[in-house]
Amino acid sequence: METIYLDSAATTPVDPRVAEEMLACMGPAADFANASSVSHGPGRRASARIEAARSAVAALAGAAPEQIVWTSGATEANNLAIFGAARFHRSKGAHIVTSRTEHPSVLDPCRRLEREGFEVSYLRPGPDGIVEPPQVEAALRADTILVSLMHVNNETGVIQDVGEVGRVCRARGVLLHVDAAQSAGKLGLDVVRDRIDLLAVTAHKLNGPKGVGALCVRREPRLGLVPLLYGGGQERGLRSGTLPTHQIAGFGAACRIAAAEMTEEAARVTHLRNRLWSALSTLPGILLNGSEHRRAPGILNVSIPGVEGESLLLALSDLAVSSGSACATLRGEPSYVLRALGRSEQLAQGSLRISLGRYTTADDVERAAMRIRAEVGRLRAIAPPMAAAAG
Amino acid sequence: MHADPRYGAEVLRRFRELPGAGEVLGDEGVIRARADAADDGACVVLSLRTARGVVVEARFRAYGCPYFIAAASWLTERLRGASRNELAEWDWREAADALEIPPSRFGRLITLQDAARAAAAAWPGEIAAAV
Repeated sequence: METIYLDSAATTPVDPRVAEEMLACMGPAADFANASSVSHGPGRRASARIEAARSAVAALAGAAPEQIVWTSGATEANNLAIFGAARFHRSKGAHIVTSRTEHPSVLDPCRRLEREGFEVSYLRPGPDGIVEPPQVEAALRADTILVSLMHVNNETGVIQDVGEVGRVCRARGVLLHVDAAQSAGKLGLDVVRDRIDLLAVTAHKLNGPKGVGALCVRREPRLGLVPLLYGGGQERGLRSGTLPTHQIAGFGAACRIAAAEMTEEAARVTHLRNRLWSALSTLPGILLNGSEHRRAPGILNVSIPGVEGESLLLALSDLAVSSGSACATLRGEPSYVLRALGRSEQLAQGSLRISLGRYTTADDVERAAMRIRAEVGRLRAIAPPMAAAAG
Repeated sequence: MHADPRYGAEVLRRFRELPGAGEVLGDEGVIRARADAADDGACVVLSLRTARGVVVEARFRAYGCPYFIAAASWLTERLRGASRNELAEWDWREAADALEIPPSRFGRLITLQDAARAAAAAWPGEIAAAV
């Protein structure tokens, strides 16, 4: 039986139209040259492709092309934003505000900065996964230099009100960094409207290639960052290293496609997600993790009492889904995101993240719902009575 | 269910087919013993029918990871023909060896050993263990 891929929040396949764009930068007769070698034609052609991609990525974020700094992905972009801003602006203060449900590429740099003498406030979201803007406002201090908040949570799909948080931060003169890895290309972004100073995006979540991302950096007034990498001085000195033309061109193509199809695709995926939840919601005891209404189109996260996560994942090995169970996390602990929402360890263990994407069909969703219902029933049937009711 | 290299063939077979799952019906000569893991919520209920001083039928209910479920299934076969003393002395390492369970999962198998010992303590004529 063919595996049904329902893990688009982890990564997505490269769209064939994107692959075509990438191939145009890879062969000996293609635009493979070093984009910094503008003294010859091939270099200038590669540079033109880079700049076209820069415009496409910027357009998706509501930014100007010169705001885009290429990175290896959202992890590097988040690291550059947090380390770069904290170290550059340290003379103004050493306090950072973030939330407990951020991606590790935000939380780990924050923990590292704590060892460098910074103080970090980790806000706890409500049971719906939402960090309310007044919580952020209340956490700001005279020495706060940075707020880091993700737009869409990678586990629950919950959408944060980054626009209102941006208003709060700008009024207090505090920088706002937003990890938009899960929202770019799926929800409208506008760094100017939402007063976002630093925005991290990645290509592989929107049917682009892995290994390329970008940090969108505010230009007016100019925002200082300390680089992570030093070398050739590319990207205005913020990110040295030869630019990967084929990946960047692919990222640009992915952004153009996403922008053109976003409205229609968001509606289609939301409809599929709602059908999936409708089919699963009648399972006794099942719980939706995160706000029912403020969530990204493609992500559904549920906890299923009475089934252990690792067993459920193995039973559902014909479905490519994620779990918050300890076995499914690199750190070997149940999902800290679900625990921060107040879910018990067992409910975090028995959670499933089902994330839909561009190639998910109605048939995929129906078959997945049928398989999940069947395996939950099978595992619950062998569970001792108290475990079946646990949660 | 697709093959998964993280689990041995016997673990996968038992997890897929669940031999021995369920409960022994009736009360006469039937022992029921439960054990719960202290940390991760794993739990098992063994139900055993005894006759002529040995286990003649064994079944399990379990909540836990695939290794735990497979080991509980394996144990129901291992215990057939076992005396009370054999039950009391059964060691979880036997299941670990038989199913090639990785050391990181050994902790859960101790819960099975706890259930076997609770069953021995509840052997007909002995002090009943709570289920």
